[in-house]
Amino acid sequence: MTMTVPLIDTHDLVKNYEIGGETVHAVNHVSLSVERGEFVAIMGASGSGKSTFMNMIGCLDVPTSGTLLLDGIDTKSLDSDQLAEIRNRKIGFVFQQFNLLARTSALDNVAVPLIYSGIGYTDRRQRAQLKLEAMGLGNRLENTPAKLSGGQQQRVAIARALVTDPLMLLADEPTGALDTQTSLDIMGIFQKLNDDGITLVVVTHEPDIAEYAARRIVFRDGKIIEDEPVKSRRRAEHHE
Amino acid sequence: MNSIFASVAGWGVNVAIAFTALRTNLMRSILTTLGVMIGVFSVILAVAVGNGAQVSVTQQIATLGSNMAIVVPQPDSGSGPPRPNDRGRLTERDGQAILRQVSGVRAVAPQIRNSVQLVTPGRSATTQATGATPEYGNISNVNASEGRFLTKSDVGSAARVAVIGQTVSDKLFGGDSPVGQTIRVNRVPFTVVGLLESKGSNLGTDNDDQIVVPITTLRQRLLTTPTQGPDDVTLLFVGFEDEDSLLAGQKEIKRLLRDRYRVQKGKINPFTVRTTTEIAETTSQVTQIFQAVLVAIASISLLVGGIGIMNIMLVSVTERTREIGLRMALGARRSDIRNQFLVEAAVLCIIGGAIGLLLAVLAATIFQKVADFPAPVGIDTALFSIAFSAVIGLLFGGYPAVRASRLSPIEALRSE
Ligand SMILES: Nc1ncnc2c1ncn2[C@@H]1O[C@H](COP(=O)(O)OP(=O)(O)O)[C@@H](O)[C@H]1O
Ligand SMILES: [Mg+2]
Repeated sequence: MTMTVPLIDTHDLVKNYEIGGETVHAVNHVSLSVERGEFVAIMGASGSGKSTFMNMIGCLDVPTSGTLLLDGIDTKSLDSDQLAEIRNRKIGFVFQQFNLLARTSALDNVAVPLIYSGIGYTDRRQRAQLKLEAMGLGNRLENTPAKLSGGQQQRVAIARALVTDPLMLLADEPTGALDTQTSLDIMGIFQKLNDDGITLVVVTHEPDIAEYAARRIVFRDGKIIEDEPVKSRRRAEHHE
Repeated sequence: MNSIFASVAGWGVNVAIAFTALRTNLMRSILTTLGVMIGVFSVILAVAVGNGAQVSVTQQIATLGSNMAIVVPQPDSGSGPPRPNDRGRLTERDGQAILRQVSGVRAVAPQIRNSVQLVTPGRSATTQATGATPEYGNISNVNASEGRFLTKSDVGSAARVAVIGQTVSDKLFGGDSPVGQTIRVNRVPFTVVGLLESKGSNLGTDNDDQIVVPITTLRQRLLTTPTQGPDDVTLLFVGFEDEDSLLAGQKEIKRLLRDRYRVQKGKINPFTVRTTTEIAETTSQVTQIFQAVLVAIASISLLVGGIGIMNIMLVSVTERTREIGLRMALGARRSDIRNQFLVEAAVLCIIGGAIGLLLAVLAATIFQKVADFPAPVGIDTALFSIAFSAVIGLLFGGYPAVRASRLSPIEALRSE
């Protein structure tokens, strides 16, 4: 058996905010390991530190203290260029508000991360097209976000997150702006991606959405208060 | 090698992003570009006009002749103010003395100038008559393109012959050849024996608007204001062998004439000796200062244009902070973000610069036609101006671009 390192490994991770002389402990000594191939749902009340934690493991924000190892690499030793490269190659982000570039076609939106991998124009568009087709958007390549529904926009965003073939997908309330059925569709997509081997960490405050994951973590006041496997896991029916 | 401009994203991508961004705020982009356009336009035009002045002056001096000293009967007060009591004099005999006694002198050409009225059957014109000797021809490079120039015997016999300029010929004879025709100069009939080689015009002075007659004839028949002595001249052209003898000769001429006019030590010379080299130097200094002032004034508008770029880029960065955050989340490095905004500023400036250049070339051409003044815009000026506007873009876009690249990804992403 080969020794595998956890994909995400935090030790006493802390993020404090100073507001008006007072210290807010947004994330308070969190230690957590996520192995490759896991599907983790993070739950908790608003303000419990979920987003702050996600931003740190996504290398968008810098911890106040503690260590964060991604795929075995201590992120503290990395400079801003190296962090950018990790965000580009190893992590795919899915946001609540989709964050697509306006007045830019679905295809060009999906291709953006590849710009920063140094991939050429033709190659970028080819790869982006493949990912969009996999999301069932092969007939929407040239549409701008304004011409797409919320669910379609989120699928474009997922295609974009996947276009560099990252190890993990980090999604902070990806269904927060979607109706119930569309939310379930998105979770189905996540499950399928997970079946194909990608690691997922999804923040949600809806219990039924969390049941699509395999492991459930609950935050409160910046600490993990629950961490256990999902007992009655829900499977999305695949129609294809 | 890792240059400071190195980044993962290619330049082509940045140009494409820049165009999308500029198109999104089309009106704003156009107005910003306008600032740079006007700046580049005025700088190029200033350079062109300055160059034109330089060219004009050089041509003017070239038409005068080279290695030549010009002596005029004007008191030379040096650097001090001219004194009204000092009166100058200069005679043909002075010229002969210079030819005999100053070393390196090739020829001396005395001249008297007088304004005259020309009449042919049905037409008339006013021009300047230059009373000259054949030497004028070889010192000053004045030749006849048709017929002949003045000869010794014309001067000796005070013949009523004239060599006329192209402009005069056009006025009096239209397209016909003037040689052999008769014109009345101040009522005196003269035979046209030659047409002067055209020397064009410089700085509004038409070199072809004159006639040349023997100095003796002019003195006897055409002089309208009496002179002090029988052989007074308006000026002497002194042609030298070479530049070295010209330099030494200028001093010798002064010494000789001071002797001849018995000027006491410390008194002002009643004459002035200038060399073509001196004239060229002073005038080119003057035109250089003229050009520098023009360019300096024009540069201010370019500076204002650059500040406009900086202003709009700061607005653009602020508006697109969220986009910057997103791009960082998707893997953009700081250098990628910086370059994206640098390219955007440079594109704005290069477009502005190119249009400014085009308009400047157009304006210079029109100026040349209308004002008869050369304003050459060289290929080097063109390339320089495009490069210069790109540099303006990088310079004034630099601060906003670096500011954008320094944003923290999460702060940028959270901004509204
Ligand atoms: N940029 C910030 N500045 C100050 N306080 C912040 C900032 N971001 C988050 N917080 C605070 O940190 C705590 C955790 O916030 P967050 O991670 O967004 O919670 P959640 O995503 O679980 O709703 C909250 O009390 C919030 O007010
Ligand atoms: Mg949150």
